[in-house]
Amino acid sequence: MRARGLAVAALVTALAVWPWVAPRYFVFLASVILVNVIVALGLNLLSGYTNQLSFGHAGFFAIGAYTAAVLTLRAPATPVVVTLALAGALTAAVGLAFGVPCLRLGGLYLTMATLAFGFVITEAILNLDALTNGADGLRVPAARLGGVALSTDAGRYYLTAAVAAVMVTAAVNLVRTRTGRAFLAIRESEIAAQASGVPVAAYKTLAFGLSAFYTGVAGGLFAFVVGFLSPDAFDVFLSVDFVVMIIVGGLGSVPGSIIGATVVTLLHDGLAAFQNYRPLIFGAILVACMLFMPGGVTQALGRAARR
Amino acid sequence: MTAATLVHVVVSGLATGSIYALMALSLVIIYNATRTLNFAQGEMLMVSTFIGWAAHRAFELPLGVTLVVAVVAAAAMGWLVERAIIRRAIGATHWDVLIITLGLSLMLRAGAGLAWTHDDFPFPSFFDSRPVALGPVRLAPVSIGIVGASLALMAALYALFTWTRLGRAMRAVAQNQRAARLMGISVERVYSSSWVLAAMVGAVAGVLVAPVVFLSSKMGLVVINGFTAAVIGGFGSMPGAVLGGMLLGVIENLAPLYLPSGIRYSVPFLVLIAILLVRPAGLLGRVEQRKV
Repeated sequence: MRARGLAVAALVTALAVWPWVAPRYFVFLASVILVNVIVALGLNLLSGYTNQLSFGHAGFFAIGAYTAAVLTLRAPATPVVVTLALAGALTAAVGLAFGVPCLRLGGLYLTMATLAFGFVITEAILNLDALTNGADGLRVPAARLGGVALSTDAGRYYLTAAVAAVMVTAAVNLVRTRTGRAFLAIRESEIAAQASGVPVAAYKTLAFGLSAFYTGVAGGLFAFVVGFLSPDAFDVFLSVDFVVMIIVGGLGSVPGSIIGATVVTLLHDGLAAFQNYRPLIFGAILVACMLFMPGGVTQALGRAARR
Repeated sequence: MTAATLVHVVVSGLATGSIYALMALSLVIIYNATRTLNFAQGEMLMVSTFIGWAAHRAFELPLGVTLVVAVVAAAAMGWLVERAIIRRAIGATHWDVLIITLGLSLMLRAGAGLAWTHDDFPFPSFFDSRPVALGPVRLAPVSIGIVGASLALMAALYALFTWTRLGRAMRAVAQNQRAARLMGISVERVYSSSWVLAAMVGAVAGVLVAPVVFLSSKMGLVVINGFTAAVIGGFGSMPGAVLGGMLLGVIENLAPLYLPSGIRYSVPFLVLIAILLVRPAGLLGRVEQRKV
């Protein structure tokens, strides 16, 4: 337990001093990683814990991002905390509205429905020109917090880091609550959970809502971090990337989400120099990773530690 | 809109739908045997079509031989992928294998791009694309040709699954793997055969569709439509895959005629969601009853 406390303290310190020691680009990169960590946490709540694999999280991510952007454009004085909360809440509402009818769908059918959801959202963004500026994209003004505009990379980084810290803490603690235990029970066996009196349908819906909330908040942060939104950034490949993060990291695990999001984001960034060879190398790494570390990096690390 | 135009649009929809159906069938063949969703199916189709085309250009092969080259290349690729990679993922879950096939699809697309660039190439066709008039209706021979060739292939698949030892073994494994093994069926052989068969079906679809959409490294994205078709029909059901594919193709071709351009691309997906709301296991699928 003490070692774990020390590790957390070291991580928090490293996150806090990062903008002072790292070049500007790496501050930006760290913000992107943290945004992806939040999405991976949210997706893992849904896929890892309640076995509902979603290929539509880029859609939720887009809803969050555009909500934050439009809100900041129309009401620039809104504190960023409120903006993010609203982005999360609206996305969660969409997630619930979509999740309830999807309760009947199992396995691949749900996956297909979420995939379709992602496509429909991208088309909707393209067509709602008045709000989203369609295919031309939307420039996002700086976030404001108590009269201060967060217009530097470091400012945006600290905002993202603070929100990510809250979200990670919440996710870690969620597992210890009644809801978290219910999620775990559903992960182990839906039928056994139902037989033990866990209202599976209600908790699966809740997981959809929570997952969408996390992804929406992350989308809002993403809007501020990159400063420009265009619909083609939220295509199916982004959804696939999110799924890759949680499977490579480890399904149903908070450290797994963090590791997966970090590894995949760094790989995408680090391989950019290889240009045309990038997908080739990335694909080969994915294949090798799943062949030699079935269950993801976290499980492999756990096995190595026990040995 | 006249009835003649409608017929024209429906027939070209059926042609598109046949390709989706073949794609859906190849996904279902692998899924039934191994419970794996093969993300790389579209890329395997694309690469085998490219190989056929490269041979066609290098040796000035007739089109029929090109088709054979593509199909043989696909069979070799399917066998290799299953033996060299998929079978080694022993401790892996279905999710892990999904990521493996995703990685493969990225590698194949990038590899094709490096070998043949990411440009579009014209591909020779068995059929003429200029419409001919049949009374008041104008039909493109290429549409009818695609539908006819696909139906012939489907009939061959039906025969294979109904009357041959291998086909029956494959159906047995799909129903109950353990019981099939106890009856002396080599499940491993069924795995390889499924990958080979699915790749071959994909290659035929590739050669049929390449003249229409052009040959390019992006061609593999048709796997998404194939997946949609298979889900609409009920994943795992082969008649369902055909029905879903045809339905999807016709809807996709009809939608632009009646609907504003803004939502036409969403139509297949909205239809899919609507169908799943009413029939959660697709049109011909059965809801699996799980025993505890």
